[in-house]
Amino acid sequence: MPPLRKSFQERFEELERDLNIMCNKGVETVERTRKAVLNQDFELAREIIDGDDDLDAFIIQIEEKGIEVLALQAPVAIDLRRIFVMLRIAMHIERVGDLCVNICKVLLSLKGYSISPNVKDNFSEMFKRAIEMLRQSLESFKNKDSSHVSDLTQMDDKVDRIHRAFLEGVNGGDREEVEVTVRVLMIARFVERIADHAVDIGEDVKYMVIGRFVE
Amino acid sequence: MRVDGVSVQCGFELMEKLECRLGVHNLSVYYDDFKALENINLLIPCKRITAFIGPSGCGKSTLLRCFNRMNDLVPGSYVEGSIFFDGTDIFSDNYDVTELRRKVGMVFQKPNPFPKTVYENVAYGPKIAGIKKKAVLDEIVERSLKRAALWDEVKDKLHSSALRLSGGQQQRLCIARALAVEPEIILLDEPCSALDPIATQRIEDLLVELAEKYTIIIVTHNMQQAARISHFTAFMMIEEHGDPGRIIEFGETSYIFTNPDNEKTERYITGRFG
Repeated sequence: MPPLRKSFQERFEELERDLNIMCNKGVETVERTRKAVLNQDFELAREIIDGDDDLDAFIIQIEEKGIEVLALQAPVAIDLRRIFVMLRIAMHIERVGDLCVNICKVLLSLKGYSISPNVKDNFSEMFKRAIEMLRQSLESFKNKDSSHVSDLTQMDDKVDRIHRAFLEGVNGGDREEVEVTVRVLMIARFVERIADHAVDIGEDVKYMVIGRFVE
Repeated sequence: MRVDGVSVQCGFELMEKLECRLGVHNLSVYYDDFKALENINLLIPCKRITAFIGPSGCGKSTLLRCFNRMNDLVPGSYVEGSIFFDGTDIFSDNYDVTELRRKVGMVFQKPNPFPKTVYENVAYGPKIAGIKKKAVLDEIVERSLKRAALWDEVKDKLHSSALRLSGGQQQRLCIARALAVEPEIILLDEPCSALDPIATQRIEDLLVELAEKYTIIIVTHNMQQAARISHFTAFMMIEEHGDPGRIIEFGETSYIFTNPDNEKTERYITGRFG
């Protein structure tokens, strides 16, 4: 396809560059959160909480630039869908960042308690799959290729299964045990939500490519 | 889906629900040896706005002028194919062209009021049609000016020269003049290209209102205008200089501007054309 008009092209590239940096930062935040949880690294958890402002600043920047492109360049068809999807992806990544902050806050409340190796294994698996899903959904966007988007739903099913296993493993105990269990369940739920955002990004990419919303 | 070679993206179901009294069938238009349009097939939905978009020279205005046979006035022009209006081919022998032009009004790019009063401009058509009673003419003038959203601005200067009105007012006067003879279809050939953004907005608002009662076909170079006001869009283009214009894609405007079927349409509307 021949190039866009120059000023539009430049703004597009700038927006894509910003989004790319934001997405890398989002994935990196999930990886660091995984490390913090598995190692019960409270110092790292605090760093992640403090660093969330960066992702928040990114989304404001991307939204402002996106709105400017919509207002000044009046994009249509594939260009309109791309801008729309870029704004949606930025929103998903910002929420993924918020979920990492939530996980870290819950982790801090677990200071003084130990997380069992079995729970850690499950967390590790959930995080691994969620990160893989995020990477894959963002690759689909970069390559404008929706052919692997349906894989994300299958991958999400596995994350959901581990999440359910957490719920099924709850079997009472004393007050302290219940408190720990609730917090562990909260972390599992937040990781499960991260995977859901990856699925949503995949659906957005599919819309961008084919021009129709498909659930 | 495709209907007679035209990609109708809005789907057959919707087109079936809409009344279409105007249909173009295998239409080609020639100016002497030059083929300006080739094999045009199109249905125009009633009481909707249909926009023709496309690069200069693709035959948009030529196609528009076919609907009231304005091309008859161009020496050397002739057509092949048909335009059916209520089931009758408007190019058939003995077709009443005067009556056609009453039913199919036209507004041009540049406002062209007669050098007469505001009142005379609007009353001109009805007078030609034989209406002589002043009370009836007064009523037609008021009604037409109101429909054209001009009445409040000119009701105190009906007997002043129309040439003293602003460009935007003159264009609305031309629309009122077209409405005065009770047309069913209104053709507009780039009606806002000589107007400022405020006058343009008034005309656009007016066209949207008029579409509740009239079938409107508009040629515009302003794609955002087509996107803003039209219900259906036909994208036309020529392959090479000297080739005839063809319809590349026709469909609901919301589809055309978000997810066009044809790559050429996408290239044109996203500014990648050429």
